[in-house]
Amino acid sequence: MSNDTLTHSVTFTEAPAALTVVVDPTPQIARGSAVIVERRRPKAAGWSLLQGLGVVVDHWRKSFRKLDDPTQIAGTFTTEYPEERLPLPEAYRNMPILLFDDATGHELCTSCFQCQRICPPQVIHMTQAKDPETGKPVPAVSEFIIEYDACMSCGFCAEVCPFDAIKMDHDFELSTANHPSLTVHKAGLLRPVSYYQSIAPTFWAEAEASAYKKLEANKKRRPASIGIAPQMIEQVKAAHELRDDQQEADSPPAPVAIAPALDAGRAATPATASAAPAASDGDLPTDKAARLAAIRARNEAKKAAEQAAPAQAQPAAEGAATALTTPDAPLTDALPAASERTAPPAPATPDAPLDEKAARLAAIRARNAAKKAAQAEEE
Amino acid sequence: MDLVVQIMFGVTGLLILGAAFMVVSVRNIIHAALWLITCFFGIAMLYLLLQAEFLAIVQILLYIGAVAVLVLFAVMLTRQIDDPDEPVLFQRWRSTLLITAILFAAVLVPTIYNHNWLIFADPQPAFAGPRELGFAFMNAYLLPFQIAAVLLLAALVGAIIIAMEDQEQRRVRVLTLAEEVALRGEREPSPPTRPANPQPASSSSNPTPPPAPEQAGEGA
Amino acid sequence: MYDVVDFLLNTQLGLNSPDWVVMLISHLVVVGMLFAVAPLQVLFLTYYERRAIARMQDRVGPNRVGYEGLLQPVADGVKMFTKEDIVPDSADKIVHLLAPIVAAAPVLYMFAVLPWGPNMIAVDLPTGLLFFFAISSISTVGLLMAGWASNNKFALLGAMRAVAQVVSYEIPALLSLLFAVMFAGSMSLMAIVEAQGGLFISTTDVPSVPDLGLGWFVFTPVGFLAFVCFFIAALAEGERTPFDIPEADSEIVAGYMTEYSGMKFAMFYLAQYILNFLLCAITATIFFGGWQGPGVAWLVSQSLSADNPAGNPVYNVLAGMLGTFYLLAKTYMFFFVMVALRGAFPRLRIDQLMNFGWKFLIPLTMINILSAALWIAITRWGTAQGFGIIEFAGEPGNLVRWVIAFAVTLVINVAAYWFLARLNVQDHAARQAALTAGGLAVSPPRSA
Repeated sequence: MSNDTLTHSVTFTEAPAALTVVVDPTPQIARGSAVIVERRRPKAAGWSLLQGLGVVVDHWRKSFRKLDDPTQIAGTFTTEYPEERLPLPEAYRNMPILLFDDATGHELCTSCFQCQRICPPQVIHMTQAKDPETGKPVPAVSEFIIEYDACMSCGFCAEVCPFDAIKMDHDFELSTANHPSLTVHKAGLLRPVSYYQSIAPTFWAEAEASAYKKLEANKKRRPASIGIAPQMIEQVKAAHELRDDQQEADSPPAPVAIAPALDAGRAATPATASAAPAASDGDLPTDKAARLAAIRARNEAKKAAEQAAPAQAQPAAEGAATALTTPDAPLTDALPAASERTAPPAPATPDAPLDEKAARLAAIRARNAAKKAAQAEEE
Repeated sequence: MDLVVQIMFGVTGLLILGAAFMVVSVRNIIHAALWLITCFFGIAMLYLLLQAEFLAIVQILLYIGAVAVLVLFAVMLTRQIDDPDEPVLFQRWRSTLLITAILFAAVLVPTIYNHNWLIFADPQPAFAGPRELGFAFMNAYLLPFQIAAVLLLAALVGAIIIAMEDQEQRRVRVLTLAEEVALRGEREPSPPTRPANPQPASSSSNPTPPPAPEQAGEGA
Repeated sequence: MYDVVDFLLNTQLGLNSPDWVVMLISHLVVVGMLFAVAPLQVLFLTYYERRAIARMQDRVGPNRVGYEGLLQPVADGVKMFTKEDIVPDSADKIVHLLAPIVAAAPVLYMFAVLPWGPNMIAVDLPTGLLFFFAISSISTVGLLMAGWASNNKFALLGAMRAVAQVVSYEIPALLSLLFAVMFAGSMSLMAIVEAQGGLFISTTDVPSVPDLGLGWFVFTPVGFLAFVCFFIAALAEGERTPFDIPEADSEIVAGYMTEYSGMKFAMFYLAQYILNFLLCAITATIFFGGWQGPGVAWLVSQSLSADNPAGNPVYNVLAGMLGTFYLLAKTYMFFFVMVALRGAFPRLRIDQLMNFGWKFLIPLTMINILSAALWIAITRWGTAQGFGIIEFAGEPGNLVRWVIAFAVTLVINVAAYWFLARLNVQDHAARQAALTAGGLAVSPPRSA
């Protein structure tokens, strides 16, 4: 203990017997020096023990009061969770959700695969929707799966999404005894924009303008009912029928964006509708049906190639494919099944491949086979 | 009532004898100590049968609560608690038995022979209560009581002298490793295992680096 | 209880049963009641402790199961009893099984001598106080058995610590209680409680004092010092927090309970909480008047008894209820202090424990016995006992005598406390100085 490194800012009074120590009210504390502060001697042995006990009992006494101000040092501050909840901060993130437009039912997701690529645990899987007539990809998603059980809530997907379609939810009470239910499909992921607006108003206010602008641009490239949230299809259809009736009453036929989409949807494939139940159940019959359809399509394509001229081969195969993808079950039956994931799927006959993906695959394969056959004949 | 007391006496006696036999015959020392506690319990029960409840309680407090616990405590610190190879009886057990039996008989036989067996027909007032014992100790048997106390004090002092280490030589605190090494060095001035010149033949197996070149340069 | 059973069997039912049958039945009923009360006390005390310590730490504590969590201990108990009972492979199976029984059974016996209310005691032993502590010392054997039979180093260490602690602190506990025996002139707990009537001054010292049931021994300097010493020793005996060295969970897992699970662990738990309850109850009984309190004496005087055949039996019941209420209120108050101590203080080291017990507590209690003797001499003796000097203050039972006794014992006790505390502080400071000043006094090398 060398004195030059220690500055004693404590002065002792004359009477050492009393052992009173007067602390300099303004000690000059230089950098790197230690200040020794003499504490007052306790009055009697054991006195400080009683003081400590006093502190504890004081806390006990005051704990019957709710702590409302963080400057208070005593009082219960427990939030009794299931009954009371703290407001979550806007930036709180738990699990990703997909957004759709309240008004039109259109999903904001364009299936750009950005989130799937960036996802560190790789729990995002999606299938891009395709135009049933042309087979070309459409800026919409036909199936979107997030494995909530492996998701690490990093929020990268929401950050990277250029269309503000994927956002982080505030709901954290996901505990369940049913493990497979944590693999969430599109119908379970979709939330209206108004929901996100309610949990994160300022964030949505920032993103709103550009998100809607992009959505408007995308809607134009979405044929039929593709890209409409399944839970909204009924409503949208009802709204559309109402508008149709009004249009019939008012003679001038002004085509609305949704009208042809829904009409085409009825005729063509229930793009979003049948995918969810088929994938969630993963039944054998649909699988079998798809395989059957594919074999049939291939056979037909082969026949066509053998019989017809090479120029006619391609359209014939295409026709077969479109015919096969058309379901027996009407759209109105498939829709309620889509809106409730747990509901039983639409009646599936072996001849009618409900699995749209498999059917599409079969059609593509058939088309490819037909092409090859045509090429072979040309040579 | 009398029959009940006799039956209880018989059961208690059997318990005491059985426990005492187990104490000397069980191989595991801990078990022997536990049987000893059982034996003490039986004796406390005998005192209760004799309506000497104060003595019974003191028996429990001192012999079980203190003596037996200390015995257990000490036995647990021994290394070989249960050795099947160790014979229970040693070679000269017959002569030992004879001597102890003679000594035991020397005390017991005259007592039995001379004692006036006064069996109380009806329950008597307590004659071994705390008050009676206190008066006995402080009046009639004051000298033996004080001598016993002095004896115990001497034993205590002796135990402390045996147990106490020399204060000067006591290690006040645990040494750090460096201090320990330094101390070893002091004690053993010439460590024999170390070669004086640690220069091995092959330089490849030697991990110690050569002296730093800068130091050498500065020295030059 | 004998009278009640006798009345029911012989008078009401006319069975004309022999004396010993009545006695047996009455004792069985009392024992059954006490054995039912004990686990209920444990259930309540665990809940009480958890709620109280939670409040001290600005938390809420268990409040989910039942109203305000009152059924939480039941849920815990169900969990504990349904757990698998694991016995280590290399354990001494029989001793391992016996240890929890040996630890828990004596504690239940201690209920036998606890007075719950006026004339409410299972057995009014003339040596009740000694019985209480003699029986509690058997638990120590159970702890040692548990520690040894587990064949686990932590368990053995815990058992060793437990025994060292309990054996050391039994001495100050008993020595500090000796004053009550001297004051009441009996070791019967009933007599000790009955000696504590009065109002601040006990009626045994000054009979003219109005009897409000408040002449507790703690109001005398002797009793107060004994109370402080006894409560500290009781904490050590009950292995409560400042002295929970035997089961220091941060050092030796759970001490002697390390290898126990399920039912057997519950037995140790039960034993410990019953012991704590009983220590609090005995503190209340000896220092704070037990069931004594305002109103009990009056109710007793109105009640039906051999002396007062005109009394109303309703008053018997009321007196018992009020007495039990007073006893339980005081007991829970002390348990609250125990919980507060647990909330406030860290665990002691084993050497600190031993130093405190042997160098401070035991000398203090011994001086306190001297004070107690002086108190008795000043308040009750005269020329007949060879203490004629005190005759100037009047007859025994005089208030002047009480004042003198109070002053003398107060001076002695305060001086003893101050002196011993100073000695211990100096001793501590000297050892600290030896440690910090590099007192590297090193033992010579052992030849091995």
